Amino acid sequence: MKKNLFCIVLAAVMLLSCAGCAGGQSSAEHLEDYVFTVQYHDNFNILQLTDIHWNVNTSTKASMNYLDKLLKEVDGHIKKTQGEGAKIDLVELTGDMFMLANSYHLSTFIDYFETKAEEYGFLYAPVWGNHDRHSLYNPNELANRFKKAAHCVYYEPTDDLYGRSNYIINLTEDGTKNTSVAWMIAHLDSGASFSETELSVFRDYDYIRPEQTDWFIAEHALAGENVPAIAYYHIPQDENEKAWVAVTEQNADMKNKFFKLEGFADNGNEKYASDFIDRAKDHNLKAAFMGHAHNVDWTVEYEGVVIGLGVKTGTELYYAHINVNSDDKAMQDGLRSVGITENFDLIGASLVTLTGKDGSFDLEHLYYNERENGDFSAWVKW
Amino acid sequence: MVMKMFDQSDLVTSNLDEKQKKQSLIATVSVIVLFILSAFTFMNFLYCLSDCIGSIVCASADVALRDAIRSVPLILSFFMTLAGLMVAHTFYRNESESKLRVRAKKHARIGIVIGAIIIAYVIIMRFAGTYLSLLEGSPSPLYPLDAVIYAAIFIVLGVIILIYLKKGSYAGASRPSIQTGGKFVRSFFRAIWLMIGLYGFCGFFYSIFIVDFRNGYVPYSLAMMLVSLVAFLTVAVWELFYNAFTAEKRRNITLPLAIVSLAVSVGSAFLYFLALKANLDGPANVGFGILPIAFSASVNFATLLVVATPLIVSVVALVKGIIRLIKK
Repeated sequence: MKKNLFCIVLAAVMLLSCAGCAGGQSSAEHLEDYVFTVQYHDNFNILQLTDIHWNVNTSTKASMNYLDKLLKEVDGHIKKTQGEGAKIDLVELTGDMFMLANSYHLSTFIDYFETKAEEYGFLYAPVWGNHDRHSLYNPNELANRFKKAAHCVYYEPTDDLYGRSNYIINLTEDGTKNTSVAWMIAHLDSGASFSETELSVFRDYDYIRPEQTDWFIAEHALAGENVPAIAYYHIPQDENEKAWVAVTEQNADMKNKFFKLEGFADNGNEKYASDFIDRAKDHNLKAAFMGHAHNVDWTVEYEGVVIGLGVKTGTELYYAHINVNSDDKAMQDGLRSVGITENFDLIGASLVTLTGKDGSFDLEHLYYNERENGDFSAWVKW
Repeated sequence: MVMKMFDQSDLVTSNLDEKQKKQSLIATVSVIVLFILSAFTFMNFLYCLSDCIGSIVCASADVALRDAIRSVPLILSFFMTLAGLMVAHTFYRNESESKLRVRAKKHARIGIVIGAIIIAYVIIMRFAGTYLSLLEGSPSPLYPLDAVIYAAIFIVLGVIILIYLKKGSYAGASRPSIQTGGKFVRSFFRAIWLMIGLYGFCGFFYSIFIVDFRNGYVPYSLAMMLVSLVAFLTVAVWELFYNAFTAEKRRNITLPLAIVSLAVSVGSAFLYFLALKANLDGPANVGFGILPIAFSASVNFATLLVVATPLIVSVVALVKGIIRLIKK
């Protein structure tokens, strides 16, 4: 009996050890596997929704009502400005879709986006945020649901890259890999957090690791050195703060706009600064968009790359109330930059329109608030 | 077979008649079932609380209030289940006939009142439009109707207990009375201990389903499950196993049990920190869902608490065992 028990325990330990040893594929040797292709056309519309944060306290019904109105507003705006044939082509979900949620939230969320993707004719592409790992479901369950969803673009192999959602959408002439790439859209997992040592009481926010940058550069070389690229991820990297310091403390002449009402919530530690934008900018990276800090949608053109946080989507967890009479300098600076003269909440979405293969694009922020006496909606161009 | 287990010498149940044994068995099973229910509702409670605290910390008290209002039935369900656990535990300890009646009645009434509040609250909030439907969904497809059904079941059980206390007589096993010296401090630490036990149990249970044994995270995943299990066992072993023995046996096993408990606690804590050293991003990537207290993603507080509590409980038991040995 004891011998049998010993054998069972030994087998279990060996099995687990093997699971731990399985290295997975080498990203460098499987670059093509990470690439999806979608047909490019001028005025390709990418809607960024970020930090939806469905959680145990969320009324998913109320949240879906808000998203219904938001999508209708965006679709109407696109049709009005670009013509009846124009539509949302791609929805980027830049992390923290969930937090303290469970399988019910996950199923409802994906079912909802599948229905809307069918209705509006878009694809959606999620990247992981720090809180998407912070729920009562197995992260693999979320990954598998994304993989199986008909309108979701998602790839997550067992590989040597840090994180989960590292994949590419190449916009090509005919939507296949046989024609040239017009734009490359990179998705990177900026992780969650880590302890500096095993005895640390506090954890630092994570960052895009050097091997992810290497992978991006390799994927870009595969797409073509002259192909313009955009990156979507969740946690702002150190360039956001560097640009902010340059603008506010060194009076650097950089185009910047929108609101910055809190810190970027990056790790703020030079030792763990990411090299992503620093190196990717030499590989035709035109823009990088992220989420994470809900009270920030500040966008800046820094060393040739437009870096900006998306407008937080929905009212979960926290968001800023913009008050035109506020004494807060940051709020007044933001108000001046957007030219809005009434109170509103800093929630909505961001829209990128790829206007040409030369790397040109438009960016607009939508502030959308539900109100009893008629919803508030304001589009602000970058 | 279970009844035969009760006959073993040194157990408080060994000299009881059949009826008494049956009553003891029902009390023990009730404690276990209600502990499990309390653990699950406690996790829901922690989730609600963590989200609300997060909103407050991020200067959105209005969002915290809105969320708390929506989740009142979830929050109260935990306290109602806890009242049920207290009733069962009062029968389980059965310190004396008079204490049993007073305490069980008190806790049963508290449970009934909370249950009634949950039902009334949901009805009022449905009419007020806070709930868009009785099947609004989130965190379950049936919420808030499921909270109403759960409360109704507890009200019925509470009424049954009150009727039983009026008519019936309980003669299950007697267990040591909870010492009254330093009542406030003792109650406070017992409550904390219980919370950690609930948290540990639920953490271990959920970890079976949500821990992601991905490449490179296996040692941390196992260590995470181990410390959760040890936190739960600290409560289970001392409350269910230790208290099942006669006073004399308890005196004899306090020290050896404390040494074993301390060894297991130290061992699991050591393994945890060893695994953490190998996976410094482990707490954020593996089983993060069972660490709702660590909401902000920047504090290792929850894990430290789960690791530290069994150590503290074991050290206290060790000191107690040594004092008893000296007095002997």
